Amino acid sequence: MAEVLAEGFNVFDTTKSPAGTVKYLESPSDVISLIRSGKLGEHILLVRGGTTTFLAPALSMGAIGVITMSGAPESHLGILSREFQTPCVMTAHLSSSESRYVVGDTDDAHFVEIAKALDGRRVRLDCTDHETGRVLADD
Amino acid sequence: MVHPLDDTDYDVLNVVALKKMASAEVVAHDARIDIGTAERALAALADQGLLVLAGGMALPSDAAEPALRSTADTRYARLRTDDEIARLVDRFEPINTQFLTTMSAWQQVEVGGRKVTNDHSDPEYDGKIIDRVDRLVTRLQPLLDALAGFDPRFAGYPERFAAALAQIDAGRVEFVSSPTLDSAHTVWFEFHEDLLRTLGRERAE
Repeated sequence: MAEVLAEGFNVFDTTKSPAGTVKYLESPSDVISLIRSGKLGEHILLVRGGTTTFLAPALSMGAIGVITMSGAPESHLGILSREFQTPCVMTAHLSSSESRYVVGDTDDAHFVEIAKALDGRRVRLDCTDHETGRVLADD
Repeated sequence: MVHPLDDTDYDVLNVVALKKMASAEVVAHDARIDIGTAERALAALADQGLLVLAGGMALPSDAAEPALRSTADTRYARLRTDDEIARLVDRFEPINTQFLTTMSAWQQVEVGGRKVTNDHSDPEYDGKIIDRVDRLVTRLQPLLDALAGFDPRFAGYPERFAAALAQIDAGRVEFVSSPTLDSAHTVWFEFHEDLLRTLGRERAE
């Protein structure tokens, strides 16, 4: 099995296993730029939270996979990913790190570490497990 | 420096920010203005860098949220100190949690301890969920009425909920949760985000 770079909540079981280069999206303009680039389908999208609602246009325009660093499958983004059947791993944490997201008690360093480790990496999502979604190295 | 938006610009930019991507027709409908006014406002807001126009759609720029937040601070200062609103908003939070859970139950059913996609083959199960959606929307009404007393813009939400529920009653169950329609979930989500902005609060994780 490929190296597990990160894992988190699996939003829904699916045999879809999208692969692409991780693209960290920090703001609405990042989403607009990505959509305009015409390369939306080449990327697994990494965002900070399940409340990152600015991701919605990317989902409606064909995003292939999503990773979040916080949030629950019951959140708005979880609901959207199920509606669009876009594989989604939520509140992902790095396999190589002890740092874990805790609601209301997580400093920026946690998010920076994950973004730094995953942004630009070629990965594949494994969302076949009922509970756990995995981000696998695909390079 | 962020300049306060006038009422029309606020309402138009607010719709774009809530929908994340909206045509002039949709903006006009939800902001309850005519299409010409919506188009002029969208063009002016694009000139100010508050939104981006692409392919006939408007998308909020990074500057949209700060501009809306700053204007809302003034526009809703009185509403934010109203005791009745505060009481109703406190009641809203658990209702919102129930709504999110209900949406998940609509999308997925538990079979043998695993959640699987609801294929909508069980009308009894779906009927219970739809009843729950109906009840939750009804419980929202006092807050919507109170908000509409401060800003008639909020009167648009009951109309949109009623339209979505009427479609569901007519058998178009995609109006429960479809993100590409003005479904009950779409209207609820937008209302929640609108409410948070109005109150000057952040969405909780």
